[in-house]
Amino acid sequence: MNKKTLSTTAMALLLSAGLALPAAAQGTLTVSSPQDPGSWDPIDTFLVNWASVATNIYDGLTYRGPDMELVPALATGWEELDEGTRIRFTLREGVTFHNGEPFNAEAVKFTFDRLLGDEGAAGPQQSNYTSIDSVEIIDDYTVDFHLGAPDPVLLTKLAGYGAMIVPPQYASEVSEEEFNLNPVGTGPFSFVSYEPRIGINLEAFEDHWGGAPQLANLNYRFITEPSTAVAELQSGGVDLVIPPTIPIGMISTIEQDPRLSVVSTPGPTVYSLRFNTRDGITADERVRRALIMAVDRDTIVEAILGGEASVIASLQGELSFGFDPALEPLPYDPEAARALLAEAGVAPGSQVQIDIRGNDATFNEVVQAISAYLAQVGITASIQPYETNVLLNDIIPQGRTGAMFQQSWGGWTFDYDNTAYSMYHSGEKWNPYDSDPELDALLESQRPMTDRDAREEVLHEIARYTAERALEMPIYNLNAIYAVSDRVQNFVPAPDSRLRLTDVTVE
Amino acid sequence: MDQTKSRFLSLDFLLGAGLLGLICTAVLASGWLFPNVGAIDLTARLVPPFARADHILGTDPLGRDVLARVVAGGWISLQVGVLSVAGSVMLGVIVGLVAGYYRGIWDVIVMRFADVQLALPFILLAITFIAIIGGSLTNTIILLIVSQWVQYARLVRAQVLALRDREFILAARAIGVKDRRILFSHLLPNLLGPVVVLMTLNVANNILLESSLTFLGLGVDPTIPSWGGMLADGRTYLQSAWWVSVFPGLAILLTVLGLNLLGDWLRDTLDPTGRTGR
Repeated sequence: MNKKTLSTTAMALLLSAGLALPAAAQGTLTVSSPQDPGSWDPIDTFLVNWASVATNIYDGLTYRGPDMELVPALATGWEELDEGTRIRFTLREGVTFHNGEPFNAEAVKFTFDRLLGDEGAAGPQQSNYTSIDSVEIIDDYTVDFHLGAPDPVLLTKLAGYGAMIVPPQYASEVSEEEFNLNPVGTGPFSFVSYEPRIGINLEAFEDHWGGAPQLANLNYRFITEPSTAVAELQSGGVDLVIPPTIPIGMISTIEQDPRLSVVSTPGPTVYSLRFNTRDGITADERVRRALIMAVDRDTIVEAILGGEASVIASLQGELSFGFDPALEPLPYDPEAARALLAEAGVAPGSQVQIDIRGNDATFNEVVQAISAYLAQVGITASIQPYETNVLLNDIIPQGRTGAMFQQSWGGWTFDYDNTAYSMYHSGEKWNPYDSDPELDALLESQRPMTDRDAREEVLHEIARYTAERALEMPIYNLNAIYAVSDRVQNFVPAPDSRLRLTDVTVE
Repeated sequence: MDQTKSRFLSLDFLLGAGLLGLICTAVLASGWLFPNVGAIDLTARLVPPFARADHILGTDPLGRDVLARVVAGGWISLQVGVLSVAGSVMLGVIVGLVAGYYRGIWDVIVMRFADVQLALPFILLAITFIAIIGGSLTNTIILLIVSQWVQYARLVRAQVLALRDREFILAARAIGVKDRRILFSHLLPNLLGPVVVLMTLNVANNILLESSLTFLGLGVDPTIPSWGGMLADGRTYLQSAWWVSVFPGLAILLTVLGLNLLGDWLRDTLDPTGRTGR
């Protein structure tokens, strides 16, 4: 009762304070983000939590929002010429950077020269954009991108990370260090202050080409520990907790609080147990199929993941380009699994080792359940947790895993090529065991295709082919889970955590 | 006679031995009490305590019985705690005795090596060690021995330095007692008090270290229950299902309490310089 009066008073106060401000932008939204990327320069990062802040500061030539549709941003249109090896962009006129510099063809050329030059070579972003040979200025508001080979994912890649447009004068005048800590872009929010490991504050950029944002201030705090982030959310210290923070086990805690809610959307990350297809019993395709069929993945998703995931048939979720709704996961059928194992001559009580990342609490539970299901068909599974870096940089690339190993993977471009090529092409870091010329040819054939439909068909074929050979046990596609205070209105969860909070308002 | 009797009647001994006795009995009998300890039942996740007769202390996120896992988990935890301390005491005491008694070049080499090792952060040592030889129960115990023998070596050496020129040692030497006998029959009993105290503290500490290793993914197979692992698993459920981590936590608390009480009593009993007034 008392509490209610208090909050009503607070709300009245807030409202009157809001009325005193200019009508365009009002209110402050505080976001809890699990990681401080340390630098705000687009060429320096590959962290998703860089993008969950920087998507508000910068614009790209294209934009892809929560609906996953690619739309014009700083480019108002584009044309693919010379069989996809040249793309002509028409640029938006009358756009300025936060510091007043004008946006034009010069800024685009500067951005990509910087990304593809020595400065970009020091960061992790350059390798994503190597299909671009050069950028040519046609006139003030027209540029041509010359490509070495057609790149079907390039337009998507221009909507994020390394392709964010930076101001030429500012970026060349100030030191690299200065630019890392004081970012300037054309986005809807401009930079105010940054305290490493504490937080970053932004304010509305009234002159944004898309109109001023609804919020006056947008603050981020870096909170690594999930229980701290949730406690802050409960006490009103933050209004929004973004992924990857909230563990499945905490969802019920949040839902029990009437002022909080959990919002989720299918995310980019898929979880699987991949097989050692070279040695041991899992070298036999029948055994691999049997192990998949022995595990009730639907029940695992329902019980352990609280429905915040969906069972997958290949290494991609439903939002991925290349996702084939017609491809069904292998059914849960322990009888058939036992029969297949007997046919392959696998004796009951055979051992398999499952290598996992030690610090992933939820997947840890999933694997323990999988081990129980495998026991039902007579396979004894032991679980070997590794320190994440050891597993990723030593055990998997060197092919020293057990019969099965954890692979969780997701790319913000939501293009199956990104996953499939790294997982299945011979000689790739993530493919220590398998070498299949037919699959290699399929993977290579789709890369230069500019016809989206034809390329999607090949991606479907790759997914079918790998599922047919049972190269891995696909388990689930995890949702991106956001926890939101009911103070926040018009919030739309972004599958890739690249939030642009222009339409959000707070009470 | 009288003295011995009163010594065993002390509250420390009775409580400590009682607690540890109870825990050890339960742990040793766990296989017989709960034959289905690892049974996963996804239809009975996070059942609260005292709600169902077949799960008195509730169930964990995979529907496993918490009571059965706490009892069975003691086996791993006690093994890690007791074996790692026993190993480091044996190694550390011998090194410390020899280094302190003979001094000379070995003393310098061994003790500087010990200093270097003390300067290495434990987690760094653990990650390197496990990355090289792999994670398992035995390796966890070896790792703990490797990282902790130094404490005992330094403690024992310091004690030996204080004792080696005392009259009773000089007297023993003067009448031609062999070095080995001086070390183990004259020096060792006189410096056992602080070692025993450190041991009781370390058993408790190592049970917790095993949990942090498991938490980092450097420890044992997560399907094998251990108190530390259960604590770590239950952490995200603390607000919604406290019983998952509170009961293993209580088990650690009671074990550590028992050990410390027993340690106090042992120190008082073993102290040859006289009885502390109680």
